[in-house]
Amino acid sequence: MLRLEKSQENEIEILSLYGEVDASNSVILDEAIQEIVASGTKSILIDGKNLDYISSAGLGVFMSYLEDFQDQGISMKICDLAPRVFEVFRILGLDQLIPIFPDRAAAFAV
Amino acid sequence: MVKLPSIHIGKLSLLLAILVWLALLFVDLVRLFGMINEMDSGISDEITWILEILFFFTLYGFYNYSVGKNIQSDFLNLLWRASSTGIFATGVALLTELFYISMGDSKLATEPFLKNFFYHVNFALTTIFLISSALLWKHLILYQKNKQVVKQWQTFEFAMLLAMFFVFFNKNNFDYSFLFAMVILFVITVVLSGNLKWIPYLTFKEKWKSLLFLFFLLICTVYLFRRMLAYSAAEAYQVNLTDNLFLMALFGFIFTYALFSFLVTLFNLPTSSVFEQKLTEAINFQRLSQSIQPDDNEEQVLDILLDSCMSASYADGAWIEISPDGQTEGINQLRFLDEPTKEELSELIKNQKAAVGWASTDRPEMLQPLLIRLDHPRYESTLLVPLVINKVAIGRMVLCKEVRDGFNKEMVNIISTFVRQACISVENHRLLNQAIQNERYQEELKIAQRVQKALLPAQLDHPDQFDICAFSNAADEVGGDYYDTYKVDENRYVLIIGDVSGKGTSAAFHMAQMKGVFQSLIQLDLSPAQFMIRANAALGKCLERNHFITASIFQIDIAERRICHARAGHIPTLRYQAKEAKSEYLFFDGLGLGILRNRQYENHVQEKTFTYEPGDILVLITDGIVEAKNQKGQQFGFERIKSLVEIHHDKTPKEIQNQLIDALHVFVGGDGMIEDDYSMMVVKFQQPTTQTL
Repeated sequence: MLRLEKSQENEIEILSLYGEVDASNSVILDEAIQEIVASGTKSILIDGKNLDYISSAGLGVFMSYLEDFQDQGISMKICDLAPRVFEVFRILGLDQLIPIFPDRAAAFAV
Repeated sequence: MVKLPSIHIGKLSLLLAILVWLALLFVDLVRLFGMINEMDSGISDEITWILEILFFFTLYGFYNYSVGKNIQSDFLNLLWRASSTGIFATGVALLTELFYISMGDSKLATEPFLKNFFYHVNFALTTIFLISSALLWKHLILYQKNKQVVKQWQTFEFAMLLAMFFVFFNKNNFDYSFLFAMVILFVITVVLSGNLKWIPYLTFKEKWKSLLFLFFLLICTVYLFRRMLAYSAAEAYQVNLTDNLFLMALFGFIFTYALFSFLVTLFNLPTSSVFEQKLTEAINFQRLSQSIQPDDNEEQVLDILLDSCMSASYADGAWIEISPDGQTEGINQLRFLDEPTKEELSELIKNQKAAVGWASTDRPEMLQPLLIRLDHPRYESTLLVPLVINKVAIGRMVLCKEVRDGFNKEMVNIISTFVRQACISVENHRLLNQAIQNERYQEELKIAQRVQKALLPAQLDHPDQFDICAFSNAADEVGGDYYDTYKVDENRYVLIIGDVSGKGTSAAFHMAQMKGVFQSLIQLDLSPAQFMIRANAALGKCLERNHFITASIFQIDIAERRICHARAGHIPTLRYQAKEAKSEYLFFDGLGLGILRNRQYENHVQEKTFTYEPGDILVLITDGIVEAKNQKGQQFGFERIKSLVEIHHDKTPKEIQNQLIDALHVFVGGDGMIEDDYSMMVVKFQQPTTQTL
């Protein structure tokens, strides 16, 4: 199960993830990111505080935006990942490409 | 053994009949000769009677055989046979009469022998006509057999048999006993004549024809009867053959049944179209209910439906509209209407309040046909019938008539039945097609599964210096995991394990691509980091945008006891060191393949080199094992694998692998499913002791 929540803070679009991202619902995550991009924002923060699990299909969603965001000058950050979820990002090497912060405050500070 | 020739009953009885008739003629002529010459010929009347009865029997035998043989022939044919025989007999009788009229008072005209000869001829023909007709009537009466009718007929036959022998009792006198017997037989005849069930099955045209045949038959019967009476009145014949109860009763039977048939057919004429209509409806219903063959078209059913409904309601125009739903194109069938008229009518129907409410119902399965009066110069009434398949209205049928209120209750009922049946047929057809489609997909997946199994190596290349085993299991029929081994030269071996993101068919295709790329690059004898860089460049061009691949590669040099390793986002490999009796995961930077599809990737891959000792173990795994969850949602995790390997480090790779898989299944739970593909490769470097063996 995946639930998404959108909010805004300091001109940053925040997408909070609740539950699990797997092959069956990664499309929902993809659509949500597309919507945020369509709104014209330059800064996106993914809040993973309540994210329990992310499968490789979920990682594929983040990965697929890397080049687009670089070209369009959009910055995407991730914060507040549970250790187990952060481990998944780290193993794949995505922590090298997407800035990941321990909490929101740290993410805003940059 | 003398073989008896098979007896042909028909021919035999015909021959006998002719012989008996000749005998009868001979006996009577001899008697006449005796009378004329005033001599007693000594031939009693009884001999004539016996011969007469024999004649009846043989004729009955012949016709019973010949009519029974042609039992398939239709009613008109039967009627024609009866009336043609009648016409022939009448013709001969008329010719005889004409002959005598033309002769006038000449000597020949009074010649008693000739007169007697003609008398016998006419008697024979009349008998043939009566007996053959009676047997044809039997066929008609018994058309719809039931016990009662068969009993009636048997009674009649028995009574007729008695009537044949009546002559011995009555001595050919027209007295009260004769009259009494006649009345009894007539009553039976009338009862039998009520069996006219064959008439409704005639079509309108056939009814007219049968009326004609019956008319001829009645005329002939009346004429022949009058002839008989005329013969009886003339005293010129010593033994009267025709004042016979059997013949008289047969006359009565033939005439009564023909008359009944004639009248019933006549009165049935106006309603015959209704019967034909019902018959057509029954046939149409049967056609609709026959399930369509899988390769047939739904349109054919709708075609039959439209035609059936139009003929059932005498509609002047009709069409079927199917709303396009992906499965079928918008079918639009028109009957006796042109497109503009249809548009006009549709517009008029749209403006009707009832039709709007009818069309917008949210429970189409409860929808009833709707009758509407239209304000159209030509078509004044229409009937809208919903086509509902599986509780979804797929379209509607519109029937139009030129008269106001042209659809009665019966029509609406039968049309509803037709539509229901057609919809069931279409639904069955769709279900069947779906089932066949599914079956085919299953087959295709099985093939895919077989092909993918063949992509994994059947034999793993390895020297004596290390032992190896591997295992892979897909969550679906096919999966995205891959492993392989390669022998570069005598001393160098390469191990690879890879995992495509996601699972199922798309992952399986990428897995095949991965194998192609890996197999090509491995030939180039690249360093592990270079290998990953090239693989990233190649795969980056063929992977879908949101797909990536993780992989680990190990180059083992058995001469140097050295391993060079690169990791591209893959789950770290467990390395057990026998010397320290402990294990660790080989974790260092390395980005998955296809994530950065440009040259920047080169900055994100590293390689590590280390040496190994005998007894060391490498366990290459995919994330399916680490992330396998139990009922409580806990993951199998890295630690469990690590401790299991440490416990079982002295076992063979195959045993270690089995321990891990068993532990995994126990962890997930009896019927729990592992949601992702999972694979494993276990390598163990041999102890020096085993090397010497």
